[in-house]
Amino acid sequence: MATHEEILAKLKEAVVEYEEDDCAEAAQEALDAGMDPMVAVMDGLAAGMEKVGVLFDTNEYFVPEVLMCADALYKGLDILRPHIKLDADVPKASVVIGSVQGDVHDIGKNLVKMMFDVAGWDVHDLGRDVPLETFVEKQLDVKSDVLAMSAMMTTTMMGMKKVIAMVKEKNPDCLIMLGGAPVTRDVANLFGADGYAESAGNAVSEGIKMIGRLREYQKGDIK
Amino acid sequence: MSEFTGKQRVQKLFKREPLDRMPCFSGQGTVVIQAIEKMGAPFAKIHTDAKLMAESAITSARLFNMDGVVVPYDMATVAEAMGRGISLYENAEGIIYPTVPDKWKTLEEIDIPKDYMTQGRLPLVDEAFKIIKKEAPDLAVGAWVLGPFTLAGQIMELDILLKGLKKKKDEIAVFLDQVTQVTIDLCKHYQELGVDFISVREMGSGTDLLSPRMWKTLIGPNLKKVFDSITDVPCVNHICGSTDMIIEMMHECGADALSVDQKNNVAETRKKLGNDVLIFGNFDPYNTLTQLEDQAQVEAIIKKCIDDGQDAVWPGCDIWPDVRPENMETYTKTVREYGKKPSPAVGRL
Ligand code: B12
Repeated sequence: MATHEEILAKLKEAVVEYEEDDCAEAAQEALDAGMDPMVAVMDGLAAGMEKVGVLFDTNEYFVPEVLMCADALYKGLDILRPHIKLDADVPKASVVIGSVQGDVHDIGKNLVKMMFDVAGWDVHDLGRDVPLETFVEKQLDVKSDVLAMSAMMTTTMMGMKKVIAMVKEKNPDCLIMLGGAPVTRDVANLFGADGYAESAGNAVSEGIKMIGRLREYQKGDIK
Repeated sequence: MSEFTGKQRVQKLFKREPLDRMPCFSGQGTVVIQAIEKMGAPFAKIHTDAKLMAESAITSARLFNMDGVVVPYDMATVAEAMGRGISLYENAEGIIYPTVPDKWKTLEEIDIPKDYMTQGRLPLVDEAFKIIKKEAPDLAVGAWVLGPFTLAGQIMELDILLKGLKKKKDEIAVFLDQVTQVTIDLCKHYQELGVDFISVREMGSGTDLLSPRMWKTLIGPNLKKVFDSITDVPCVNHICGSTDMIIEMMHECGADALSVDQKNNVAETRKKLGNDVLIFGNFDPYNTLTQLEDQAQVEAIIKKCIDDGQDAVWPGCDIWPDVRPENMETYTKTVREYGKKPSPAVGRL
């Protein structure tokens, strides 16, 4: 039987080489070998995706490859996720995500969504070209910790500002994260968002930081 | 010496004949809010009414003394004519361009109707061309079509298409062949309508998305077929986004001119391609025309385009309609004045 190291390496490689069947197989092996599924996700699948990010940055991989790697990753994730035990004390983080009205760019948004999926968040994907009110309604409906919006055009980006105002009015505790090519941290601050991430790679850690800050604030640690 | 009309200037540019000055025109959407306001119509309406479309184009050109006009304004017309629907955002505040709501989701579903040329808004666009030719005979009339790959991404889900490029090569090649024929038929159609130039915009194919290798096998050959088929009217090969790695291959596709956006290093491109090739570009329209407040900065950007070796200063993409009028003024005036000196491929009288 393969060692845990070998299984992790296989998961990683299956993601990098976009081999969907291999990825599913390795995920099953991980379960059969009694590995902690969270370790398989993080040190196998996510580690593979990290490598993909490097290949992308060095012009070795382009968007088609990245999308195929994501498909392979989901094949493994679908098998592993049902086995991840939830810690009853720590509430599961959740996010509502979508590309704003008028914007049909969704490739980047889908990669960000994948990272939240990998991290085990509850993800509510509204898709692309999402009417501004729909963000507000969905957030209030599922009471997600985070509302994440993507805009790829300087112009549709303006819609985010309106959503932030609408959401904050109804639910001041909702944390809002922005992203997409024209968005910068300055823009996010200016619009009244709580967080920003430049790429999928750091979206989740930004989300966790935002939640951490809010919890401390609620406990009264930060004034 | 009598002054040229805008139309003559653009026609001569494509023939690389000496000019009085650089023509000021574009093959990207060039409709401005000031013109739309004059029409008294909301933005959503100018896409669905031939007269409003034509007149907003002409008025935009007249307001800023430009040499040409281009219609239509959105990239959803062909997908709509193929039955993929249209979202017009009639009730939204501000400017939102029409988009395609119902793309085909799998290769198997794709069924391009034979009669698309007479469906949706395509007849309306034809009508707009007729009105423009009648009402503004002095202006150059530009048509544009999407390149085969970008059009394919408008009628089917782009991520499926992208993945298919690697995983279902043969099926995708057949599909792209079909779409190439659509692009060719559209070009022939606009050629028959008597436009002065056609811009083929393969905007989703820069190296932001595709590798140069994929470009070479899947994009270049189809573009070449398109340019080979347009025989009677000059045509432009436009790609936005990163093009430095593919500019030589773009050139080999055989268009009369190349157009690139602000990500291209045009001074380098000139060195690679030499001085005989017509190159258009490459300022960032949103930043330059909508955001900047300092006219000296606008002027510097336009001058840099000319100094880098553009034969015509084109925005890298559609002009965002909500321009500052003074920026438009500075842009067009700088082209007219600073463009009096010869450009690499085109001399002056
Ligand atoms: C692919 C593409 C398209 C495809 C979109 C298909 C799809 N399903 O997504 C098509 C061809 C349909 C298209 C259409 C148009 N496009 Co386009 N398109 C692009 C292109 C080439 C690549 C975008 C992309 O997918 N990149 C790859 C992904 C992985 O990167 P990413 O999107 O940046 O995402 C990363 C980060 O930004 C971040 N991120 C993204 N979202 C979020 C959200 C959160 C919460 C967080 C934390 C992070 C985050 O993480 C992601 C992963 O790391 C860009 C050029 C570019 N270089 O960006 C132009 C671009 C975005 N398009 C542009 C334009 C103008 C258009 C059009 C209007 C066409 C036109 N007139 O030229 C239409 C309009 C469509 C519409 N109404 O929305 C402009 C926008 C200019 C601007 N600043 O306003 C760009 C920049 C091109 C340009 N240079 O002019 N386009």
